[in-house]
Amino acid sequence: MAIGTTERGALTHPDVHRLDDVNRDVLKMLTVPGKGWWMLFGMCIAGVGLFLSAWFWQIYKGIGVSGLMSPVGWGVYITTFVFWVGIAHSGTLISAILFLFRAPWRQSIYRAAEAMTVFAVMTAGLFPLIHVGRVWHAYWLIPYPNSRFLWPNFKSPLVWDVFAVTTYFTVSAVFFYLGTIPDVAAARDRATGLRRKLYSVISLGWQGTDRQWHHFGKAYIFLAALATPLVLSVHSVVSWDFAMSIVPGWHATIFAPYFVAGAIFSGVAMVITLVVPLRKIFGLEAYLTTKHFDAMAKLCLFTSLIVLYAYLSEFFLAWYSGEDPERHAFWNRLFGTYWWATWTMLVCNGFVPIMLWFKRIRHSIPALFVISIFINIGMWFERYVIVVTSLHNEYEPFAWGIYRPSVIEMSIMVGSFFWFGFWFLLFTRLLPPIAIQELKEVLPPPMRKKRSPEVAEAHQ
Amino acid sequence: MTDGIKRRDFLKVLGASSAGATMTGCGPSEVEKLLPYVVQPEEITPGVATWYATTCGCAHGCGLWVRTREGRAVKIEGNPDHPISQGGVCLQGHASLQHLYNPDRFAGPMIREGDRFRQGSWDEAERLLAAKIGQNTAAGRDVMFIGGHMGPAMSRLVDEFLEGVNGSRVEYHAVSDAPLREATRLAYGVNELPRYDIEASDFLLSFSNDFVDDGSVADDRGLSRMHSVDEGEHSKGTFAYLGPRLSTTGLNADEWLPIKSGSEAVVALAMAAHIAGSDHSGPYANLLQAYSIGDAAAASGIDEDSLRDLADRFSAAERPLAMGPGVGGHHRNSTAANLAALVLNHVAGAVGTTVHVGGGSVAASSPFSDMLKAISEMASGQFGVAFVHGANPAYSLPEGSGFSEAFDQIPFKVSFASAMDETAAMADLIMPDRHFLESWGDAMPRKGVHTVQQPVMQPVPHFDSKQAGDVLLAVASHLGTGIGASTFYEYLRAPHQAMHADDPTGFEQVWREHLRTGMFGMGMMGGGGDTQVPELRVPDRALTFDGPSFDGPGDLTLIVHPSPRFRGGEYSNSPWMLELPDPVSKITWHSWLEMNPATAEARGVREGDIVTVVSDHGAVDVPVWVYPGIREDAVALAMGSGHTEMGRWATGAGVNAMDLLPSVAEPLSGGFVTVGTMVSVTPTGERRRMATIEGSSDQRDRPIAPAVAFLDLGHSEDGHADDGAHHGELMELQGYGGVQPVPAQDGASTAYPLPGADHGLYANAHEGPRWGMAIDLDKCTGCSACVVACHSENNVPWVGEDQVVMGRDMTWMRIERYYEHVDASHASHLDVRFLPMLCQHCGNAPCEPVCPVYATYHTPEGVNAQIYNRCVGTRYCANNCPYKVRVYNWYRYTDENVPEPMNWQWNPDVTVRTNGIMEKCSFCMQRIKDAENRAALEEGRDVRDGEIVPACQQSCAAEAIVFGNLRDPDSKVSQILESERTYKVLDELINTQPAVNYLKKVTFHEVSGGH
Repeated sequence: MAIGTTERGALTHPDVHRLDDVNRDVLKMLTVPGKGWWMLFGMCIAGVGLFLSAWFWQIYKGIGVSGLMSPVGWGVYITTFVFWVGIAHSGTLISAILFLFRAPWRQSIYRAAEAMTVFAVMTAGLFPLIHVGRVWHAYWLIPYPNSRFLWPNFKSPLVWDVFAVTTYFTVSAVFFYLGTIPDVAAARDRATGLRRKLYSVISLGWQGTDRQWHHFGKAYIFLAALATPLVLSVHSVVSWDFAMSIVPGWHATIFAPYFVAGAIFSGVAMVITLVVPLRKIFGLEAYLTTKHFDAMAKLCLFTSLIVLYAYLSEFFLAWYSGEDPERHAFWNRLFGTYWWATWTMLVCNGFVPIMLWFKRIRHSIPALFVISIFINIGMWFERYVIVVTSLHNEYEPFAWGIYRPSVIEMSIMVGSFFWFGFWFLLFTRLLPPIAIQELKEVLPPPMRKKRSPEVAEAHQ
Repeated sequence: MTDGIKRRDFLKVLGASSAGATMTGCGPSEVEKLLPYVVQPEEITPGVATWYATTCGCAHGCGLWVRTREGRAVKIEGNPDHPISQGGVCLQGHASLQHLYNPDRFAGPMIREGDRFRQGSWDEAERLLAAKIGQNTAAGRDVMFIGGHMGPAMSRLVDEFLEGVNGSRVEYHAVSDAPLREATRLAYGVNELPRYDIEASDFLLSFSNDFVDDGSVADDRGLSRMHSVDEGEHSKGTFAYLGPRLSTTGLNADEWLPIKSGSEAVVALAMAAHIAGSDHSGPYANLLQAYSIGDAAAASGIDEDSLRDLADRFSAAERPLAMGPGVGGHHRNSTAANLAALVLNHVAGAVGTTVHVGGGSVAASSPFSDMLKAISEMASGQFGVAFVHGANPAYSLPEGSGFSEAFDQIPFKVSFASAMDETAAMADLIMPDRHFLESWGDAMPRKGVHTVQQPVMQPVPHFDSKQAGDVLLAVASHLGTGIGASTFYEYLRAPHQAMHADDPTGFEQVWREHLRTGMFGMGMMGGGGDTQVPELRVPDRALTFDGPSFDGPGDLTLIVHPSPRFRGGEYSNSPWMLELPDPVSKITWHSWLEMNPATAEARGVREGDIVTVVSDHGAVDVPVWVYPGIREDAVALAMGSGHTEMGRWATGAGVNAMDLLPSVAEPLSGGFVTVGTMVSVTPTGERRRMATIEGSSDQRDRPIAPAVAFLDLGHSEDGHADDGAHHGELMELQGYGGVQPVPAQDGASTAYPLPGADHGLYANAHEGPRWGMAIDLDKCTGCSACVVACHSENNVPWVGEDQVVMGRDMTWMRIERYYEHVDASHASHLDVRFLPMLCQHCGNAPCEPVCPVYATYHTPEGVNAQIYNRCVGTRYCANNCPYKVRVYNWYRYTDENVPEPMNWQWNPDVTVRTNGIMEKCSFCMQRIKDAENRAALEEGRDVRDGEIVPACQQSCAAEAIVFGNLRDPDSKVSQILESERTYKVLDELINTQPAVNYLKKVTFHEVSGGH
């Protein structure tokens, strides 16, 4: 595939010449869906059915339908919660931080990444509800005025978690929505019937006037600045769910940066996992080029090194502490009952990304896709290792135990991917998955004289 | 007459007895139905408990205080005035409640119709029985009465009844002390059990005698008292166990000499010979000369030096005591082994000081040979009617005995079982007896100790039951062979009435006093047994002391022992017993085969592998549990499991060890041989997950269950625990609980806890009590009665085998069992540490700050409280609890598992918990509040030390647990904690500052690990 080399054209295919090409290509995605989309969507509906029925069964019977036990009170649910919160990270990173840093390669992927963020937080947010014993009382974690003056315990990291996740969801949803306004307006202009009405409401009467563009730009920068610290704070708070405890394997000061790096790592990998099929299905090769994938791969590589460093320093510090519970916790990770989970984590997160040092691999989309899947698996297992192996062999050896996830738990875990996919597929059909207006900014401005194909050829 | 007891009399007496019972001064009264109260009876105050004195059902005959609420028995505790049990209750005693409310009890008399039973009326059943007996007598046939344990009055009644119907009686117990009784007769001419005074001894040798496992709270307490260290005197009794397998009893021993099964006699005689030397004279002089330490070493597999050393120390002891094989060690020569132990006692001078000839238990010594004889008589067709009362021979006899076939031949079989069991299932008529908590009776566990059994509540209305004594009286009157009493109550009272006819206060007054105290004849208590040293006699039968023979071609000796939980199998249908972790293996519900690690390794068997155990008499499939406390050439299987017809819980749980045993009576005593066959063990290739609560038995040198060597005691520099020395004021601060500011010294704070800690969660100083506990690990015998008491008091649910397999047992208290210095390859100790683990009520509790909704918090009195209603169920507290004492309601265990009327056992003072919430030990908060309120309201004072007794402490016969106010320096708990042995679990590692303090176990060997 030919890649443009001029400063502005570098990120798009030279076939894309005109601004209205962008409108056409992007909005085309919102029209009649293909067979592939319907198949995927059908699968997701079935998966959501599985997800909800498993959950309702659990509410009806009790949390005992999971494999959770004493001493492993947290298992697949919390693992999956942390996994989805982690996934939610790269969206804001790509849209807000890279926006502030003016990284031009973000344009064609950020809308998808942001949507991923919102849906991932929506998925993650369900898991604390799924894992509590009495979900009908879960609202007690929210501080609300009540006649008995009962407040949540602000010392508990779980309460911080409620704030962190809800704040993150609110800000990222608003940020996502704001960015879509001009594009929804563009879609409105082409749509008819009910869709047109819907888009009219969503686009808030966007006309594309100078004044509106001016406000839009200011608001966008403002929200980007607001969202940026959240990228760091949310996963730091999630990490404190563990780090504030006294469980060997949880109680570590490195947890906040370690979790944030891990979140970005897994989030970027998930973007790759999602964008590759998106690009294929909607024929967006012209907008999502190797340059984008190369940049994401480098980000993955960088964060994988941080994560690997964190693993190694944890093992070192456990040995260095000289205390048996600490040492045993980490020895047990490598060679205990759950050794397979730990080695999966180490291989997928520490060793597989080493391949990204090679440019040929970074530029091979199939290879990247496969690696990103490995990273997703590895990052899920990282959380599983942290949650489960730490708990199952704690201070009191007589109370050690072995946890085996149940079918219900695994159904809910797998179902959560379909739940996520359900929203993501709807998104690709209802909102422009690629930011039209930002893409246009990187296109060459319209010229009076068209560049002939020959000129374009010579350009390379 | 339609009812056995005249209800008016019954209730009058009950009311009178409780009026005399000054504990609360309340009692039920003359109402037909207990609830609801249309007209509220004056004597019952809703919400206030009434206590009754009675006697427990088994042969040990412990005195009970039964707590009733609104007319229902809800908790069983020991009667502290009882001369033998002194306030202790065993596991099975607590679980009696579950047998009382067992939903599998018969709804009424059951009359066989073909393959099924039809419920009939009592009148119909009694007339039918009378008619059958009449026909039988007319046909010239006899009546057989197979009875288990019963009180003296009932026993007398049965004899009188049988006289009238030409009956004969056989007493049968799955476990009995017949060999000891016969040995005592042979040695001293006294046909009674001797009484071992364990408490008085200072050097105890047990030859396969598992006296703790057998459920005797007196022996449990005796062991604890003799074996625990006296720091003031700097003394501690020694306990050595000689036997092939360590039971709970054996796990308490300082030394274990794993002698070969059956070598007890030779070892005991060799030790006696060594002690006596050559100048011994008497009837056994020649015998002793025939045995040397060398012979004993060859027979037992223990080296000579160890045996000689043991014998030397035994003879040097002031008050030695050797106990011959008990029910867990009855082989074909166990009378000789018991006799050898008596000779050893005699030679060492123990007889008269720790062994009192005569004065032991008078019950539970009926020989198995009588039963075998009865079986052959039954098979001969001599009997037309058979009664079974208090026994379940169809289950508890080996198949080879031929009981089932012989019993089946009897034309009319009557069972008094109150719930279905294997024998009742064969019966033609079932006349469900009352539970002992609903019936009248008496007990005589030892000569001179005669106690009352009185109903503590009206019979559970779900079951139309009738006391067996009343049935016999009614049938006798139908037959025209009247016994002279219309109810068993009258029959029981008559002799006492005669005895006290001249009493100036009047008999009713005397009787009331009997009921109040639970005792007849208060003046006859005390030890019992002779302190004179009787002469040894020449045995009047031929004896051999060599090792017994074993059946079969197998290569492993099978040790079948009574279960510490089910005993012979009569207590199996109780979820509390089934789910209680076995004190040794920590396995619940199912059976297991104990196998030495070396044996298992040699055969390629791992823990959880299901193996087929084959003897000449049968085969069972059972999972292996690898246990370093058993010899390499033996395997062990507990009795009491594998019921086929015994209610919803016991049926199908585990395997019946009797399937492997030969039907052999020991030749001399006629006792049942439980260690008599060899077996072969082959893996089936299948595995299972064990329903165990044990994670790891290795404490990995963590400060969990440390020990201190006896010689190191008193050498601590400041006379205080080592831990305290490092941390300055920490020890003192921990006494208060909560993070407290550290007093500044010269303007600088003393480091630990951190100076900023006074801004902590519980900084506001509270002047009230700080509740705490001391648990002496040197006293704890691991018997686990506290666990069942806790279940009973706190409505702790059971969860079932599948849930335990998953690791979801709900127990608030578990007895952890760690091994140190495991080396089974030679004669050596297996240093076992029992650690009762319950909520530590940490002053600096890790569970508290992590709860998002304050469902767990600290009370001003230092108790870590759990508010069930507020709990959302995030389980973070359990994750963060280093002691793992928080348990979670994964399902609605309290309603789904508990059928009516089993739910009557719930203690109304404690809420039952719902699905999805956390719970844990509350220090029996309801008892604390009850005592505080009582003191404040009735006498306007503060609660006194010792007034609050949590359920675990109450049931601890070993006196290992003491609860009280840590802030009061004069309280008993504070005094105990002055000991240099005091420590707190894990505290030095994570600064949790628990309110539960432990006292280290004291060992005679140097402490190599886990100190």
